[in-house]
Amino acid sequence: MNRFVCFCLASLAIALAVPGCTNNSPSRTAETSGENSKAPAGSRKIRVALLPKIKGISYFSSCYKGAEEAANELGIELIYDGPTDGDPRKQAEMIEQWTIDGVDVICVAPNAPDVVAGAMKEARAAGIAVITWDADGTNESRSFFVNQASAQSIGEGLVNAMLKDLGPATEGDVVIISADATSANQNAWIETMKPALARSKLKLATIKYPGENASNALADGRDVISKYPDLKGIFGISTVSFPGAAEAVEQSGKSGQVLVTGLSTPNDMKKFVHTGTVRSVVLWNTVDLGYLTIHVAKALATREIKDGTTTIKAGRLGEKSIVGDNVMLGDIMVFTKDNIDQFDF
Amino acid sequence: MSNSQTLTVDHDSRPVCFSTRFFRLIRQREAGLLLLISLTSVVVGIHDVRFFSVDVWRDILVRCAPTAIVACGVMLVVVTGEIDISVGSLMALLAAVMGRMLSEQEFDISCWIGIPVTLGLGTLIGVFTGSLVSMGRVPSIIVTLGLLTALRGLTTLMMGGKNIDRLPEGLTQVAKQGFLGVPISILAAAGVIGLTSVLIHHIPLGRRLYALGSSAESARMAGLSEVRLKLFAFGYTGFLTALATIVDVPRLPKIESGIGSEFELLVVTCVVVGGVAISGGQGRLIGVLLAVVLMTMIRPALTFMDIGEAGEKWTRAIQGMFILLAVVSDSLFSWRQRHSGKVHAA
Amino acid sequence: MPDTGGGRSYAWWHETVIAVLLVIVLQFAGWLVPGFLKLQSQLLLSRQLWEFAILALGMTLIIITGGIDLSVGSTMGLSAVVFGGVHSSSGSLMAASLACLATGLCCGAVNGALVSRLRLHPLIVTLATFAAYRGIAEGWSQGHSYSRFGDAFSDLARGSWLGVPLPGAIFVLMATGFAVFLSKTPYGRFLYAIGHNERAAKFSGISVNRIRFWLYTTSGLLAGLASLIYVARFDTAQADVGKGFELDVITAVVLGGTSIYGGRGTIPGTMLGLLLIHETRLLVSRYWGSDELRSIVIGCLLIVAVLACQLVSRKRRS
Repeated sequence: MNRFVCFCLASLAIALAVPGCTNNSPSRTAETSGENSKAPAGSRKIRVALLPKIKGISYFSSCYKGAEEAANELGIELIYDGPTDGDPRKQAEMIEQWTIDGVDVICVAPNAPDVVAGAMKEARAAGIAVITWDADGTNESRSFFVNQASAQSIGEGLVNAMLKDLGPATEGDVVIISADATSANQNAWIETMKPALARSKLKLATIKYPGENASNALADGRDVISKYPDLKGIFGISTVSFPGAAEAVEQSGKSGQVLVTGLSTPNDMKKFVHTGTVRSVVLWNTVDLGYLTIHVAKALATREIKDGTTTIKAGRLGEKSIVGDNVMLGDIMVFTKDNIDQFDF
Repeated sequence: MSNSQTLTVDHDSRPVCFSTRFFRLIRQREAGLLLLISLTSVVVGIHDVRFFSVDVWRDILVRCAPTAIVACGVMLVVVTGEIDISVGSLMALLAAVMGRMLSEQEFDISCWIGIPVTLGLGTLIGVFTGSLVSMGRVPSIIVTLGLLTALRGLTTLMMGGKNIDRLPEGLTQVAKQGFLGVPISILAAAGVIGLTSVLIHHIPLGRRLYALGSSAESARMAGLSEVRLKLFAFGYTGFLTALATIVDVPRLPKIESGIGSEFELLVVTCVVVGGVAISGGQGRLIGVLLAVVLMTMIRPALTFMDIGEAGEKWTRAIQGMFILLAVVSDSLFSWRQRHSGKVHAA
Repeated sequence: MPDTGGGRSYAWWHETVIAVLLVIVLQFAGWLVPGFLKLQSQLLLSRQLWEFAILALGMTLIIITGGIDLSVGSTMGLSAVVFGGVHSSSGSLMAASLACLATGLCCGAVNGALVSRLRLHPLIVTLATFAAYRGIAEGWSQGHSYSRFGDAFSDLARGSWLGVPLPGAIFVLMATGFAVFLSKTPYGRFLYAIGHNERAAKFSGISVNRIRFWLYTTSGLLAGLASLIYVARFDTAQADVGKGFELDVITAVVLGGTSIYGGRGTIPGTMLGLLLIHETRLLVSRYWGSDELRSIVIGCLLIVAVLACQLVSRKRRS
C-alpha cells in the first residue's frame, strides 16, 4: 500500500500545483487577456509568427533574413519557428499554439494545404489574421497569399529552363529526382512538369524518391546515369536532390553531357554553375519574399489592406500589386553563370 | 541476461578461427544472404547486363563502406547485449563539427588538426554513452534513443539554418577519387573490417565481449570488468562513426543537417539481418557484411530493373520485404535458431 | 543487471520521481508562459496528445512482457491509406473507419504471428514490418493524399463534448480498462510474469505465445484507432501518417517507469510519462519557439529522468 500512498501524494501535489500557478502571476494573466482581446494594435508591438515549411534549410533561412529586415524596419516582434523535419502536422500544431498565445498575424507556408487548413480556420475564428506565403493554402483558410510562383509556373519554368539549355530539338531521356513519394509540393510540381515534358521531345524515363537523404540522392543520381545511356538531363526538385544530382553528374565525369536543373538558392549551387554541370537554377528572390510577407502581415494587422485593395506599399520593394487576394512578388528567376554571382542568399 | 537459458553458450556461436575452412564460415544465415545477393544480381543482370559493370559495383561498394564501418562497431555493442541507435544523429553532429572546423568559409582549420579532433569527439561521445549504460545503468536503448533526438536537434541548432560548403580541396579529392584509384572509404572499410576481425578472433578482448553478452553473470564471476568492456564497445562505435563521417561526408555535395537520417536504422537492420543475436553473445562479422551489401544493393538494383514511375514508390516496401525475407527464412529453415530464439528479453 | 524492480516497496519510486518532475515543469511553465496552465488552453492543446496516448497503452503492455513494437507508426500509415482508399471508392465513412481499424488489427496480427509462431525477437520482427508497412502504404497509395472527409468527421477529433475532447474521453475509458486489466486480472499479472522470466512463466502453465500474439494484435488495433483520430484531426490520409511515432511512444512509456527489460511498469506511470513529455514540449515551443531545442530537451529529459530514477532507487535499496 506504501507505494500507492506515495503515488497519491504525488498526484495530489500536481492537483495543487495547477491552480496554485495560475494564481501566482496575476499581472501576467492580465497581460494575456489583454492580448487575447483584439484591440487594434497601436500601443504595443505587433506580433507576427512566420511559419516555414521546413526550419533549418537554406531556402527558408534566406526568407527569414528578409523577414527579419522588414521586422526591424517596422518595429514588429517576429516569431520564426517551424518543424525541422517538414511535417505539415507539426505546422498545424504550431498554429494551434500561436492561436492560444494570441499573436496578431500568422504567416503560413503550408507544406500540405489540407492538413493545416483546420488549424488556420480556427486561428481566423479566434480573430487572428492568417496569410499564406511561399505556397498557397485552401481558400477559406487565409485572407491573402503572397504569391511568388504557382506550382504551374514552377513546373513549366523548370522544363523550359532545361529545354533552353539543351536546345528545344534535343531528344533523349530525362529523370526527375524528387524527395519522398509523399511530399505534397514535389508531387504537385511533377504533375505540371509531365504535360510540359510531353510537349517536348524529351522522354521522362523515371522518377526517383531518395527522401531528404543526401547519400541516397547522390546514389540515385549515379545509378540513373549508368542505367540510361541516352540521359540528357536530371531535374533535382528538392533542396537535397538538386545538389545530389549535380554532384553525381560530376563524379560520373558527365559534366556538360548530362545537364542538371532544379530549384535552389543561388549560394548552394554556385560551384556547380561555375563548373558547367548546372546551367540554370530556377528560383525567385527569397529574401524579398520574406520581406514582402512581413509587410503584408503588418498592413493586415493595422487594417491598411482589406478585401479589394489593389496595391500595397512594401518598403524598399516599392509598390506591389494585389490581384484578387494574391499579393504578387514578381516572376520566377533563372540564375545562370552570368548573373548568379550578383546574388547572395 | 538474468535468463537462465542464455547461460548455455552453444559452440557454434563462438568466434571462429581464421584457419577454419570457408564453408564452415558460411553457415545458415550467411548462406541465405549470399543466395539472396546472388539471386538478386542475376535477376537484375539478366534484365540489364550493365548492372555487372565494374563502375556500378565500385559505386555500390563505396556506398557500403560507411554502413560497414559503423556496423562493425554496432555489432560489437549488440554482441555485449546492448544496442546503439544513435549513430545517424552522431554522424550528423560530427559532420557539422568537422564541416565548421575545416570549411574555408568558417574556421578554416588544418585537416591535420580537424580530423583527429573529429575522431576524438566521436570516441568521447561513444565513451559517454557507454558510461551512462555501464556505470549509470540506464538501458542502452534509452540512452541512445535520447541521444538520437538530442544530437539531431543540436546539429540543426549548430548549423544555424545554413549549409556548410567548401571543405578543403584535398579532403574532397581524396574522398571522391581515392588513393591510387581505390576510394578512400573502401580502404577505410577494409582496414576496419580487418581490425574488427582480428579483435574478435585473436584478441582476448573480443572474446570477453562475447562472454559478457552470453552471460553477464558468469562474465562477472570470471573477473571481467563489465564497465570497461562496454565502455570499449561504445567508444569503438563512436570512433568508427567519426571515421565513417570523415571518409564519406566529403563525397556529398554539401553538409546539411539532414545527413545520416535513418542511418541508425539501416545499421541496426544490417546487424540484425546479418544474424547477430539481439540478446547478445552471438554473431559473426561476415553475416553483417553480407547484410550490408544486400541492403545497399537494393536501391541500385531497382533502378536497373527499370520498374517505372509507379514501381519506384514501392521501393521502401521492397526493402521491407527483403528484410522480412532474410529474417524469416532463417528461422523457418533452421530448427536451432528457432530453439534459441525463444529467449526474448535481453 | 536488469532492474526488474525486485523490492516491491520501491516499485513506485520511478513514478514519484516523474511526478515531481512534472510538477516542476508545470510550475516553471506557469511562471514563464502566461496563461500556460489555463484549463481551457490545456484542453485545447491536449488534442496533440491523444494519438500518442492511445498507442502508449498497447506499448506499455508489450514492453512489460519484455517485447517492443517499432511498427506502430508504419501501421498507422498503412491504416490511414486504407481509410483513404476505401473512402474514395465507397464514399462511406463508416466502411472506411472499419477498414482502417481492420488494417491495424491485421498488421498487428502479422507481427504477433511472427513473434509467437516463428519465435523471432520482437525487435527484429517489428524492425522489418516497420519498413514493410510504410513501404506498402507508399506503394499502394502512390504517395497520393486523400482529403476532405467532411467537417463532421474532423470535428470528432477537433471538437469537444461538454468540454471534454472526444479522443480524450476514449483514451480515459481505455486507460481505465487497461489499468484494471493489468493490475486486477490474472492475465494482466501473467504479463509481468512473462517479462520477469519467460521460461518460468511458460513452465507454470501460462500460454506465453497466445498472450504474445494477442498483445501485438491489440497494439495493431490501437494503431488503427490512433490513425483514425489522426486522419480526422488533420482531415488528410496519407502514407506518411505516424512517421516517427514509434520512438516518441517508446520514450513516453519508458519515461513512465516501464522497464525496457520487462517485468515492470504501470498504466498510471505511462500516463505521467506522456504528460511530462507533452507539457515539456508545449513549454519549449511556446516559450522558446524553437523546434530544434524541443528535440534536445526531450532527448536529455529522457536520459536524465531515467538516470535519476536509477540512482534514487539504487540508493534506497542499498
